[in-house]
Amino acid sequence: MSEGGTGSPTPARRRSGGRRWLDRASPILVVLGVLGLWEFGVRAGGVPAYLLPPPSSIVQRIFADWRMLAGHTWVTTGEILAGYVLAVVVSIPLAALLARFRPLENALYPLLVASQTVPKVAIAPLLVVWFGFGVLPKVLIVFLICFFPIVVDALIGFRSVPREVLWLSRSMGASQWKTFRKISIPAALPNIFAGLKVASTLAVVGAVVGEFVAADRGLGYQLIVANGVMDVQLSFALLIVLSVLGVVLHALLDLLERAALPWHVSQRVGAGVHGPAEGTA
Amino acid sequence: MSVALRFAGVGKLYDTPTGTVRALEGITVDVKQGEFLSVLGPSGCGKSTLLALATGLDLPSEGRVEVAGRRVDRPVTDVGIVFQTDVLLDWRTVLGNVMLQVEMRELDAARYGRRARDLLRAVGLAGFEDKRPYELSGGMRQRASICRALVHDPPLLLMDEPFGALDAITREQMVMELHRVWNETRKSVMFVTHDIGEAIFLADRVLVMTPRPGRIAEIVDVDLPRPRKVEMRESHAFLALVAHVRNLFVQAGILQGDRHTA
Ligand SMILES: Nc1ncnc2c1ncn2[C@@H]1O[C@H](COP(=O)(O)OP(=O)(O)O)[C@@H](O)[C@H]1O
Ligand SMILES: [Mg+2]
Repeated sequence: MSEGGTGSPTPARRRSGGRRWLDRASPILVVLGVLGLWEFGVRAGGVPAYLLPPPSSIVQRIFADWRMLAGHTWVTTGEILAGYVLAVVVSIPLAALLARFRPLENALYPLLVASQTVPKVAIAPLLVVWFGFGVLPKVLIVFLICFFPIVVDALIGFRSVPREVLWLSRSMGASQWKTFRKISIPAALPNIFAGLKVASTLAVVGAVVGEFVAADRGLGYQLIVANGVMDVQLSFALLIVLSVLGVVLHALLDLLERAALPWHVSQRVGAGVHGPAEGTA
Repeated sequence: MSVALRFAGVGKLYDTPTGTVRALEGITVDVKQGEFLSVLGPSGCGKSTLLALATGLDLPSEGRVEVAGRRVDRPVTDVGIVFQTDVLLDWRTVLGNVMLQVEMRELDAARYGRRARDLLRAVGLAGFEDKRPYELSGGMRQRASICRALVHDPPLLLMDEPFGALDAITREQMVMELHRVWNETRKSVMFVTHDIGEAIFLADRVLVMTPRPGRIAEIVDVDLPRPRKVEMRESHAFLALVAHVRNLFVQAGILQGDRHTA
């Protein structure tokens, strides 16, 4: 450390500590600000509650109807998790195979892209025709919508290993399986997590789309019902529950990533969010 | 004296979309047991190709490559390799990166763990064993990668411009350290570089290459006493060797000649 740095360590640390706190709290502050404006605007402007209810009444509705909401949330969460897990279990090994066998990738990748360009909303009715009104078509839609981002990101991850590392591994006499286990998988994990996070938010969309088409339970089904009777307050309550569901899923993955890849996360924070921000100070 | 690495009439052709490219032609040279051979030439003259042939990661189109008397027809495992980039694994600690070599080879973890720590200490990385690569400077990272190449005590060390990505001062430190390590272990080394001073300072012999196609201009004997000292870089004998090698490049049209050349 240079002598110049020892002159004012405390104020500098306090300032960056305050900034870090602000970084963490800023999304919450923004949300609170928007809600406040909304509440104020609706009340001051005299907007009728059947068009745009104030946030306070939506929150009241959530508490009043929590039993019904919890039931539907349970159903939708189940569909989301089942489809998501299925996508993870299929996508990551598939990406590993595609990365390993270039001809396989050449053969299959266009098909994967094509499958992705078909809107899921358009497939949903077909799936209902094939698999009925139960849980299965919803799970399949979640699977279809999550599948692609995970495959693509995992493939990028498996491909990210520098060829010198693979050469080194061969010079160490390592088998392909061992190279895959000790090098390719850990190297791919940051990209795999990126794909998993994107897919986690899409999964919620997938389940709702499935329930829109044909269902007798679930948050998406209830949303259709609420819209049908013009219960805007309930619609908003459902939207909030859905977005909370997505945020929670995403946050869980974030936690998992932090636990699994401390080396990656700390590196990203060091070079990413905080680095440039402090550089401009 | 036995031969650690032999190139006999080696040539290498690459098929490219625009036709066949000749990367190497008529390379014949032996790296004797315990010898330090520098391979020196401008970029694109086939140095990395030569090294790839020595590792068996690529095979020659003509001639024959032998390691420890055995023809190379598959990746050689009895070597240590250092590349220009350190290619450390981000998710492993410094010690963990060195131990990759031990784990992949399924060597005794306790015994080679001690050896890994000794090596790290020898290159000034004591106390950094549990740090991650991104916490280290470029020079420290390359030191760790050299430890990784040495931990299994290979008879042959192959290095491809290992200091090429470092700043000039760190580079000079690393050259001195490599020389010290080599002087203590006397491994057979093939050291690829484009730096004339570095090539001469470290080597028993310098293989000077010229490009298009890559071939041997001359194999220069370096008759300087060991261990080499920093001051030697100013000695008359050293400067004479530098001038000689420069002149080889001038004659090949790679460097501009000046009034000293006849
Ligand atoms: N895999 C390859 N395919 C085609 N050409 C190659 C390949 N590897 C090297 N070359 C060509 O061989 C020549 C020597 O390359 P290289 O050995 O990398 O040189 P150096 O390491 O001395 O810079 C260059 O002209 C390069 O374009
Ligand atoms: Mg090269």
